Amino acid sequence: MSFALPARQITFGRTNVQQQPYQFQQQQQPHNGLVLPGGASLQQQQPGLALPGPSPLFNSYTHPQAQAKQQTPPTAAPSANGAASSSNAVAGPSTPPASTIPATPVPLTLEQQHITAVEGIVPTLQNIVATVNLDCRLDLKTIALHARNAEYNPKRFAAVIMRIRDPKTTALIFASGKMVVTGAKSEDDSRLASRKYARIVQKLGFDAKFSEFKIQNIVGSCDVKFPIRLEGLAYSHGQFSSYEPELFPGLIYRMIKPKVVLLIFVSGKIVLTGAKVREEIYTAFNTIYTVLCEFRKP
Amino acid sequence: MASAYYEFYRGSSIGMALTDSLDELITSGAITPQLAMKVLQQFDKSLADTMVKQVKTKTNLKGHLRTYRLCDDVWTFIIKNPTFKMESNDMVSSQKIKIIACKNGDAIEAGKK
Repeated sequence: MSFALPARQITFGRTNVQQQPYQFQQQQQPHNGLVLPGGASLQQQQPGLALPGPSPLFNSYTHPQAQAKQQTPPTAAPSANGAASSSNAVAGPSTPPASTIPATPVPLTLEQQHITAVEGIVPTLQNIVATVNLDCRLDLKTIALHARNAEYNPKRFAAVIMRIRDPKTTALIFASGKMVVTGAKSEDDSRLASRKYARIVQKLGFDAKFSEFKIQNIVGSCDVKFPIRLEGLAYSHGQFSSYEPELFPGLIYRMIKPKVVLLIFVSGKIVLTGAKVREEIYTAFNTIYTVLCEFRKP
Repeated sequence: MASAYYEFYRGSSIGMALTDSLDELITSGAITPQLAMKVLQQFDKSLADTMVKQVKTKTNLKGHLRTYRLCDDVWTFIIKNPTFKMESNDMVSSQKIKIIACKNGDAIEAGKK
């Protein structure tokens, strides 16, 4: 794999080889993803609110990334550098000028490794939900009786609720052998926790396997540190937005590509959810960031 | 009704004393084992009711919850380094305690409805 990718791996804390195909897929996604919602919104805006900002922003933003992808592995690093710097330059006045970045492939800073980072803001992952099939019928009462930190109240809920402290997670274990693990803050933690639960069930004498592990949802959050005009955003991005301040103070933005739902608050705090892979969160944030800049409260 | 009560108070010191006395009475032939069972069942009921209705003493408990479990409407808590603060401001501490919490008779009946 290219030079740029190991750098990303360090940033994401990924060591698992199995997950690399995901990254491959994701590499292509930012390109498409960035163009679509923005492009759609541009078309919308042309008659009414003519906002000249977004189009150059989008172009200069996506272009270096696309370039970086096309590069051959040895030369990937400088272009990744370029991508980081120019995507930063897009974002605002506080970013360092491009000249400060050396042409030689020196180790990238954390921020630069995030090709996706805008203004040095990277969404933090808050929750990961994964499912596992233990592939074995389970007697929940036995589990509840013998495992620690287990709750089983069949009148309320037909699963054993079990928790572990490290990684701090909660599992719902069903009699069918299916399991839902929530609360992890990273993919690795989610997988590790799921394995630990499977091991606990195994130790209780069930023939539990660890199969069909799948991350179902990733939730991230961040703060753009400026207030946002939600009404304006809801108006010009009506196709994606739902803003009902009497029902919920945040604007619900359903991005199509990547398929991520964002809760955007006046304060500038953003919650991103519905992603299956981490990169979708980052891509969605970068896409929305340029949009949010337009609707910054004066 | 009698079956709705837990028997764990029989393990308390007062329950043990009652069981011993009943044993003696049975061996001496003063009462039948059936009567002794009846007495113990009444003991389960009376003690459970008394604990709910008449015991008003309170204590504050602080500690680290190490393990918990809920199964069959019984909560089990294992608490590390608990300290009890009694109403008289006495402090009692221990390395580890286990709390077993059951529903009382009324709650069991309510749960069945």
